[in-house]
Amino acid sequence: MNIMTLLVEWFSDPAQWSGPAGIPTRLVEHVYYSLLGLGLSTVIAVPVGLLTGHTGVGGFLTTSLANFARALPTIGVLFLIVLLAGIGLVPVVCALVALAVPPILVNTHEGVRGVDPGLKDAALGMGMRGREVLFKLELPVATPLILMGMRTAAVQVVATATIAAYVGVGGLGRYIVDGQARQDLSMLLGGSVLVVALAVLTTLLFAGLRRVLVAPGLRAEAAAAR
Amino acid sequence: MITFEGAAKIYPDGTVAVAHLDLTVESGRTTVLVGPSGSGKTTSLRMINRMVEPTHGTIRVDGHDIRAQDPARLRRSIGYVIQQAGLFPHRTILDNIATVPLLLGWRRRRARARAAELMELVGLESAQAKRYPHQLSGGQQQRVGVARALAADPPILLMDEPFSAVDPVVRTSLQDELLRLQRELRKTIVFVTHDIDEAVRLGDRIAVFRPGGELAQYDTPERLLAEPVDEFVESFVGYDRGVRRLSFFPARGLSLRQDMVFEAQDRVERAREAVVAGEDPWVLVVNERRAPLGWVSARQLTEQPSGLTLGSLDKAPFGHTFDVATDSLRAALDAAVLSPAGRAVGVDADGRVLGVVSQEDLGGAIWSVTE
Ligand SMILES: Nc1ncnc2c1ncn2[C@@H]1O[C@H](COP(=O)(O)OP(=O)(O)OP(=O)(O)O)[C@@H](O)[C@H]1O
Ligand SMILES: [Mg+2]
Repeated sequence: MNIMTLLVEWFSDPAQWSGPAGIPTRLVEHVYYSLLGLGLSTVIAVPVGLLTGHTGVGGFLTTSLANFARALPTIGVLFLIVLLAGIGLVPVVCALVALAVPPILVNTHEGVRGVDPGLKDAALGMGMRGREVLFKLELPVATPLILMGMRTAAVQVVATATIAAYVGVGGLGRYIVDGQARQDLSMLLGGSVLVVALAVLTTLLFAGLRRVLVAPGLRAEAAAAR
Repeated sequence: MITFEGAAKIYPDGTVAVAHLDLTVESGRTTVLVGPSGSGKTTSLRMINRMVEPTHGTIRVDGHDIRAQDPARLRRSIGYVIQQAGLFPHRTILDNIATVPLLLGWRRRRARARAAELMELVGLESAQAKRYPHQLSGGQQQRVGVARALAADPPILLMDEPFSAVDPVVRTSLQDELLRLQRELRKTIVFVTHDIDEAVRLGDRIAVFRPGGELAQYDTPERLLAEPVDEFVESFVGYDRGVRRLSFFPARGLSLRQDMVFEAQDRVERAREAVVAGEDPWVLVVNERRAPLGWVSARQLTEQPSGLTLGSLDKAPFGHTFDVATDSLRAALDAAVLSPAGRAVGVDADGRVLGVVSQEDLGGAIWSVTE
């Protein structure tokens, strides 16, 4: 049987669409963990990145830490936290945060630091204070790069949230883990397709966010530079 | 009035950016700081808005030591224009101009209305208001930079090489615009450039800096060109300073000859007589509206048969004319030098020929004013 018919069969089975093990439930769980991981990471990484980028203090330390965190195997983090905090949501979210913070942090830091010194000079020369320079100049100008970091993080988080299944809290990873365990190819494939689709949707979402959050002047400038 | 009292900036690495500056910048005038690269012009300028803190000495604005003021508040009361314009790429032109009023807590509507007013003042079309900086040419961006600096109507305007990144034609038009604005607004302008021509055009007073951050001479443009204090200033203002100085003397006083000007329907023999009587080998031919057509030489007049009209002869081009009422001796001299006849054509505001000036007359006039 070919893959397409396997998938069609799996998706068209009405049993998949209801109950605690149905696609809607799993999808909601998966999206919930992803949002939690990404949201927490943003709340941590953006302010820190803004601060280090703006002041230039601690930049080396944060980027080094971020690079170190990047090298961590996510599964390793997951089981380490399971050992420390037990099974449940906490280890999943911690692992996702460890994954998502580095790209957001590095991009925020670099985005702010990369603002043309001439612009900062003009801002200060017009009488802006540090805080005003940060929020009226550096943050808006760095926004495209920050969003890019968040998109990278979000796609990784969506793909990696499958690990929730290892610690028994569901998500789309369930299908993949169970599919492997039961040698049920259609379930394994179905779960994978759902994760990939969610990742693609995430990318589209960020394209939309970019339209809303990035000033037209910056978007066009980036397009002209390309 | 801005006063530098023994102001100096010595960086921790020992670099002397400004050695010891005593300078008084008069209110309502344009003071130009000029000098070679690294002579401390920018540093001196930025001391005024505390973008650079002097290591020695005091700077006062209207008698008040600027150190007593909060830097951000001081800067909001001083317009600042820089070379690359420094416009915020994420803000529209209108909002860029409204920046300082908004910092001062104006309501958005009032700030934008003010910004629109300024766009008009600096010669930007209102269609540009909603555009973004990258959609504007360099010259237009500089206009926005000037408008932004003027938005909160500060009494002082600091300009650091604002026009040096645009091409010469645009630069000239921006300079004209600044001169016009300044006649209207009477700001205290401190303007940095390394272009002596720009300094002479714009400045009421010029401060020439020498390497090492010292003030070499502080004078009016005329006196600077007439009497440079030393060899450094002399070479900096250029060896053509004599010719450049002529721009301070009006062409009005030149004696214009009318006996060498003929209309196109006049006949060759009349011009021939005039050449003999006037002892001058060139006649200028004009049309019925007295617009210049070109020069005819004495040789042509002797070779061509009587009866022909001057209009039918080949004419040497008249080059460019000078406006007798408004141009300077420099413009008249330039017109004469570029004319194949070696004579300058003086016109009125409507371009009608008032007369021609021979080289001897021009030489006499130059000699008498530069005595
Ligand atoms: N932060 C700094 N640290 C050390 N030296 C500096 C610093 N800023 C400026 N200088 C030095 O101070 C001197 C004066 O600089 P300044 O920018 O005032 O010159 P300038 O006359 O404006 O030159 P230019 O025409 O090139 O703009 C230069 O030698 C420069 O290298
Ligand atoms: Mg400079």
